[in-house]
Parts: sequence; C-alpha cells; structure tokens
Amino acid sequence: MIFNQDICVGPVACARGYDSTMQAATQTSQPDGDERAFSGRELFKTYITGETQVHALRGVDFDIRKGEVLVLLGPSGSGKSTFLNIVGGLDRSTSGTLYYAAENLTAKSDRDLTRFRRQRIGFIFQFYNLIPSLTAEENVRLVTDIASNPMDPAEALHHVGLAERRHHFPAQLSGGEQQRVAVARAIAKRPGVLLCDEPTGALDSSTGIRVLEALEAANRELDTTLLIITHNAGIAAMADRVFHFLDGQIARIETNAERIAPAEMTW
Amino acid sequence: MKALDLKLVRDLWRMRGQALAIAVVLAAASATFILSMGVHNSLKITRDAYYAQNHFADVFAHMVRAPRSTLDRVRQIDGVQQAQGSIQQYAILDYPERTEAVRALLQSVDEHGRDQLNLVYLKEGRMPAAGQPGEVVVDEAFAMANETGPGYEVDAIIYGNRQRLQIVGIGLAPNYVNALAPGDIIPDDTRFGVFWMGEEALEAATDRTEAINTISVSLQHGASEEDVIRAINAILEPYGGTGAYGRSDHPSHAFLESELDQLEAMVQIIPPVFLVVSTFLVYIVLGRMIRTQRSLIGLLKAFGYSDAAIAWHYLKFALAIALIAMALGSLAGIWMGRSMTELYGRYYHFPFLRFSFAPVVFIGAGALAMLSAALGAITGVWAAARLTPAVAMSPPPPPVYRAGAVERIGERAGFTAIGHMIVRHIARWPGRSAITVGGVALAVGLLFATLQFIDSSHFMLDTYFQRAQRHNLSVTFTEPRNEDALYQLAQIPGVLRVEPQQALAVEMSNGNRHERTALEGTAPDAQLTARIDQKGALIDMPPAGLMLSRQLATQLDVHPGDSVHIKMLGGRHAETVLPVGALVDEFIGARAYAAPATLGSLARDGAPVSSALLLVDPAARDNILKELKSMPLVLSISDRDFEMARFRSMIDGNINTMIIFYIGFASAIAVGVVYNSARILFSERAHELATLRVLGYHSREVAIVLIGEIALLVTFAVPTGLLVGHWLAKLMLLMFSSDLFRLPFAPTNAAYANAALVVLAAAAVTGLVVARRVMGLDMVRVLKARD
Repeated sequence: MIFNQDICVGPVACARGYDSTMQAATQTSQPDGDERAFSGRELFKTYITGETQVHALRGVDFDIRKGEVLVLLGPSGSGKSTFLNIVGGLDRSTSGTLYYAAENLTAKSDRDLTRFRRQRIGFIFQFYNLIPSLTAEENVRLVTDIASNPMDPAEALHHVGLAERRHHFPAQLSGGEQQRVAVARAIAKRPGVLLCDEPTGALDSSTGIRVLEALEAANRELDTTLLIITHNAGIAAMADRVFHFLDGQIARIETNAERIAPAEMTW
Repeated sequence: MKALDLKLVRDLWRMRGQALAIAVVLAAASATFILSMGVHNSLKITRDAYYAQNHFADVFAHMVRAPRSTLDRVRQIDGVQQAQGSIQQYAILDYPERTEAVRALLQSVDEHGRDQLNLVYLKEGRMPAAGQPGEVVVDEAFAMANETGPGYEVDAIIYGNRQRLQIVGIGLAPNYVNALAPGDIIPDDTRFGVFWMGEEALEAATDRTEAINTISVSLQHGASEEDVIRAINAILEPYGGTGAYGRSDHPSHAFLESELDQLEAMVQIIPPVFLVVSTFLVYIVLGRMIRTQRSLIGLLKAFGYSDAAIAWHYLKFALAIALIAMALGSLAGIWMGRSMTELYGRYYHFPFLRFSFAPVVFIGAGALAMLSAALGAITGVWAAARLTPAVAMSPPPPPVYRAGAVERIGERAGFTAIGHMIVRHIARWPGRSAITVGGVALAVGLLFATLQFIDSSHFMLDTYFQRAQRHNLSVTFTEPRNEDALYQLAQIPGVLRVEPQQALAVEMSNGNRHERTALEGTAPDAQLTARIDQKGALIDMPPAGLMLSRQLATQLDVHPGDSVHIKMLGGRHAETVLPVGALVDEFIGARAYAAPATLGSLARDGAPVSSALLLVDPAARDNILKELKSMPLVLSISDRDFEMARFRSMIDGNINTMIIFYIGFASAIAVGVVYNSARILFSERAHELATLRVLGYHSREVAIVLIGEIALLVTFAVPTGLLVGHWLAKLMLLMFSSDLFRLPFAPTNAAYANAALVVLAAAAVTGLVVARRVMGLDMVRVLKARD
C-alpha cells in the first residue's frame, strides 16, 4: 500500500490549523470548488444525556471531492458515525457549517433533510437493515418508489449480481447477499453519495470483498462519492483518501497515491 | 424489595400506557360485574327487608263483594297464617284547573292500627284517624309529582258521590312498589296515585258496610301456595271472586322481578365481553414483552433463577395489572352502583335503600379479573419458563415471511412496497391481527347491541301505539258496563267513532301450564284496533277460536291448531276448550283475543264493556275531555299521543344514561385494543420505520406503515363487529324480554352507523396518538439500538 505523507501532525493542528498546516495537502489533493461534494467547517456535535455532555465532534473541517472514495478509520467513540450521520442528513451538528455542493445542510429543516436524503444519499449499514417482510426486489423498490430518477429495481440488483435472487426474502439470503441487496437499494436512486457504516463488519473476508466490489463499481460507473466507515485498516487501500478519527476530530488524513481494487485486497 | 420485583415495577412503569389500557378494559369488567351484582343484591335485599318489615302478603284475591266474615273461613284454610280483608275503590280526583283526569286507587286501612299485612310505611304525617272520614295518606310518588302533602285537600268522586279528602300523611306500601293506573302500561305519578283511607270511611263511601272486595293472605312456612289458592277460590266463587294469585302474578312484584332478571342478564352478558378482550390484550402484550426480554430471561436463568421463578415473575406482571383493574373497577362499580340503586329506589318507591356491596361481590370481581389476566398470560409465561439459557441468549431467528395468497392479491392490486409491508405483517402475525380485529369488533358489537335498544323500544312503541291503535282517546269505565254506555259517548260532539273494549278475566291452561290473562274481544268490523304481525301486516281474527300473542303461546306451549282450556275468573266461572286459530307478534303483555261472539257465549249474559276507544275530531279534543271528565261512568281517560310521548321520553331517559355508559365502555375497549396493538406494532417495527426515514421517507409516509395496518384491521373489524352485534343484540333482547313486554329486533341504519363511527373515532384518535411517536422517531438512536 502506498500512502502519501501524513498531512496532520496532531489532532489539534488538524482541527484548528486547517488553513495553515493543511494548506499544502489541500492544494495537491482537494478538488476545485465546483467539483466539491461536501465542505464542512468547524463542525461540533455535543450530545446531552441527563447531566453529562458527550462531545462527539470537536471542530471538524474537511472537503470531499465528488466521486472520491473515502475511508474513515478510528477507534470506537472517535466520532466516525456521528460524522457520517451529519454528512448524510440523519443528524445535525451543534455548530459549524456543512455544504453539499452549494446546498447549506446546516440550515435545512427536517423536511428538507429528508428530501436531501431521498434525492442524494444512499446508506449501507453493518446489519443491512433490510425490511424482512419485503423481497429483495421490493426492498429496492422502497427507494425507487420515491426517488426522482431511479434505476429499475431489477437493474440495481443486476449491478450487484443478484438478479436471480430478486424474489427472495431477506431471511432466505446469506449475509453477503443481504448486504448486496442493501447496496442495490442504496445505488438504485443513482445517489450522489453512498455512506457505508461498517458494510463488511458482519461478513467474512471473501463475502466482504464482493460487497466492496459492488460499492467500488457504483463509484466507478455512477461517479458516486463513497464514504466508508470501517475498523478494518485493510479496506483503506481502496480509498483515495483516509480520514483518521480520534476524540471527535480528524487526527490525520492520508492520501493514497493509487487505489487498490477490492479483489486484490486481503485481511 | 428483591431485584426481580424492582424490575417488575419498572417494567410496569415503562409500559404504563399499555398496562393502563388493559387495566381500564379489565376494570370495566369488574365495574359492570360489581354494578350489576351490587344493584341486584341491593335491590333484592331492600325489597326483601321492605317486604318483611311491612308484611307483604303471599296470596291475593279480588271479588265483587264479600261479607267480612268470609275472612274467618279463609283463616281456617290449611297453611294460611294471616288473612286480611280490605276495600279497593277507584276514585276520580277533581282538579278543576287540569284538563286531564286524575285518578286515585283508594285502599282501606284499619283506623285502629290492626292491619297485619301490606303495612303502610309512613314517610310523613300520620295515618287516618277513626271518626275522621275524609282523612287519607297519599303515596309518596303522587305527593312528589303533584307537590302535595299533609295539609292539602282535594275533592274526589267516590262511587258517584263527591267527597272532600284531607291529606294527613305521605306513605308507601310493599304492594304498591310499582303502581299502574287501569289501562296504563307505565306509571304516571301526576295522574294516578294510591290513597290509603280509613276502613270505616271507605265502607261508608262505597256502601260496603262489613263488606270487602280484596283479601290478602300470608302463608305458614312450608304451606302449598297452590292448595291455598284453590281453597280461597272455592270460598270466593259465590262472591264474584276473580281467582286468587301468588306473588309471582302480583303486578307490583312481577314488575320488580322482571327488573331484577334484567340485571341478572346484564351480569351474564356484559362483563364476559370485557373479560375476553382483556385476556387477549394480556396475551399479546405479555407475549411481546417476553419476546423482547428473551436474552434477559436467558441471563437470569444463567445466574441461577429457576424456570418457576421466571414464570412467576411474568405472571405477576399480569396479576399486577389485574390488581390495578380491581381497584379502578371497584371504585367505578361502587360509584355507578350507588347511583343506579338510587335511581331504581326513586323509580320503585322504596322507603329505604340497603346498599349491599358484599365482600363476596368484590372477591368475585377480583377473582374474575385475576383469572382473565392469568389466562392471557399462560402462553407467554409457559414460553418464558421453557426457554433454555443458551437458546435465550442467542438472538431469535428472524421472522420468516412468505409470499402467500395475500401476496398474489397484492401483486394484482399493484401494491407499493409499503402496501406489501402492511399486508405481509398482518399475515405473518395472524393470531395477533385476529385479536385486534376481534377486540375492536366486540367494541362495535357491544355498542351496536346497546344502541339498537332505542330502535327496538321505538319500534315496539310505534307498533303498539301507532299501528295497532288507531284511536285518539281511550276511556275506562268506573265499572264494567253494557253497550248502552257507548251511546252516551257517541253523543258527545266531535266524537267520530266509538268502539267497545270487552274483556274477560280468564285462566288459560295447557296441561300443567296455567296463565292468568284477559281475553279481549275483537270485532270483525273494528277499525280502531288492529292486530298486526311483526312485519306490520294485518292479521285477520279467526272466526272461531283464539288468537294469542306469541308470548302467551310460548308460555302455554301451544301452537295454532292446539286447544286451550279456558276458565272464567269471576262471573259464573264458565269453563270451555277453544282452539288456537292464529298467533300474533305483539311486544307488550301476554294477551289473548277472541271474537265478541266467543266472549258472549263464555259470559252468557253478555261480555262486559270495561272501556271504550274513541276516534275524535282533534279540534274538539279539549271540549270532549271536559265532557268526559264530568261523566260519572268515566274513571279514566288515556290520550294515545300523550301516553306515547311519555313512554318514549321515559325509555329515552333510561336508555340514554345506559348509552352514555356503553359509549364509554366500547371506547375503552377500542382504545385498549388499538393502543396496545399500535404500541406493539411500533416497538416491533421501530427499526424498519427508522430505516425508511433513513432512506428518505418523510415521517408522515412512515407513519402510514403503522396507521395503515391498524386502519386495515379496524376496517375488517367494523363489519365483523356489526355481525357480532347483530347476534349479541338478539341475545340481549331475548334476555331482557319478560312476561310484561318483548323487545323486537328492529335496528335502524343509524344504530349500525353510530356504533361504527364511535369505535372508528376512538380507534382513529388512539392510532394518531401512537403515530405521533412515529413522527418523532429518533432514527439514529433506533438504528444504533441494534447495531
């Protein structure tokens, strides 16, 4: 695996000194303004439970290029999932600004965030989150029923190699197959962004690789921006860049000189 | 408190909404049980104490006139303990300012206080004194309705003579708990009252010195009522005796008895409905709770808790709900019971009320609630006990869905994915879906069965007053007359038609079944009365033989073509056997009809005319009433429209109170069932609903998954409920019908619609309350809960 040099020297520098310390890195790896998918500045997220406050994000700055593959690494509780939820419009930051292209997500109402998810975002979770009472194809239809320019559900399933299994219920599919249905469901709306939270966490290595191939294909063929949370550092090789989270901040960003195809990866 | 009990308390608090919803339904069962049993027992105890204290007689006999010495012969009959003679005489009260006739039944009392039976309970004032011929005690209901009492005076026409009466007291007596004026079918306290008058005074006023026309008898313990009646009849036959009868045929007692029977019927129908619903609610709620706590059960067993300890823990959850229900139900039952008993007390004129909410009633209600909750818990508790720790701690197998028949229908109907989710979930949990449908259906059914009572009674009234009676006024004579009396009435200007009403008091028998009734004459050319069947069609009077109301035919167990033995009560006690020619579906009374010729041949000297029906010109009505009031032969006048309006308002008043209760009960069932179903649905599908939100569904669209399923089930439940209601209504009508009246099944569309609408509204509000939770779903938290 080939990585560029670390561009953050520490969490504080990375979070607070973006303009100065990271200038060089952004000049080489950040996209032009019109190609930008996400742009976040000073994002904070604080949860208040009873009398305790949990600072899940502590001033995160970042830019994500359209069509980029990004892997988010970090220990549990480091803020990866909170980051993904905020980027995906499932949750709001406590402060800071977040843009998707020219849309200001921080100013959106619940209703507008729902519309944003409906049009732009595909989600994939560790435990698939398929509806058990719907067949594979119907699970995909859940999305195509409400999207503005969706694929045919059968086509989406074909993309992930499950055209034959489309009439099966989740309980009749293996874990890998279920996750591929989840991928098909996520890509069927032709989303601008695919957000994956531990997509291979519940799968064995070979099955996981098949799922990653499906994700990579969506990125390649549909130019979908891909954000993958994982605990598996091996997956970082398929990314353009890797965000390392620690204590609610992006501690460092790695840029891969070249991406490795999932098929070539092992863990 | 043990840790496991602490968990129980917290589980109850966490599920307080669902627990309370079940408790309310179960409380309704306890409350209706306590209410009905409590009121039944209170009334029965009050009645029995009243009867005992005031020495209500066991056997009663009326005759035209008998010498007082007859009593000595009656006292010598084997089994007779006490015998008391008295005079009963109807009188017209003269209230010049009132157009309607006001009547009184004068009942003699011994001025020297020597009466032993049917004692008057003085509420106010004193009894009539000897040597004061005009003194009377009036019954409490009359005094209240006419705002009169001691110190007031009123003129009365007694036996054709005017006499001034001084009211010296207000009283009650056990033989007039419910007093009806002749010709009336419901009490009218403003126009009819019982007046107790000194015996010597009444003897003088009615020209019956040392004579009586009524005998009351109390029996020795173990005496045969039948034998005593036979002996009394033999003694009284020469004096125009109309046949002695026991308490069961006493009008006041029989009316009270039928009310008690109705309360008993209520205990048998209403609480079981609530108990069944609560059992099923406990079943689904506890079942769901045990499924969600599966791994916890495994953990507890791994710690060393026994199967029995786990089973007892979950059983206690159900029993705790039953305990809450018992407390709520007991309070509600006592409150409703007291107000109902007071209502009955006022209606039936008891001197005192004995509330009897005996511990055994509460124990019974509690036991039923406990049993019902435990029954609902059994399946879940058994499953919890049987889980092995290893199995319990591993995740449960995912629910298996299949594309079945519903699926294929769905495909053809072009269901959306959400539509499939709804339909398949119903098909996946058929038992629970059936419980939701069944529960809501019972709510609809119970409400329909109650609401249709209005239609039933209106139909009964409409048939009785509007279709069977075509006169405006009916006139009762002071004593039976021959047909000449009719000419006097026909002479009054404005009277368009007069028809006689002839009746003979008879005893009809078939084998060992005997019924006392009036055999009424129906002339073939009669225009002012009609016998109509249940569908409203006219039934022709058979030229020979009898026409019986279906009620009487059932009591005698006879069918058209069978013969009935008839014995005249009073007169010459003629006996004959007549065939049953036809049956007529009438709703009030158990009545018998025959052609005037048949009556004539039975009475030989011509059947007496006891009353007449008048068709009058409405413009001349007031003048006619004035004229009738002044005629000495007229005892009372009933205005059909007035009577009907009064009957209707009385029934509506009684039923409206009942309907308000039942709207509450039905809503409680609907809310309990829908709330629990929706909460279970929500907890089961929260993860899926959150997923839909993540996928970009708006909260309203997501709520459809929940609302849609509930709505679909309720949609099934409404027609099912109306079917259940149909059946329940017929059962309730049957159980509420008595010898006095029979309620027809004649629901209007409004009864169906209102039952459905009330329950739909209750279900909709409940569904929306739960749907609000869906709207406020925290997607991230719900999804994290599994991850």
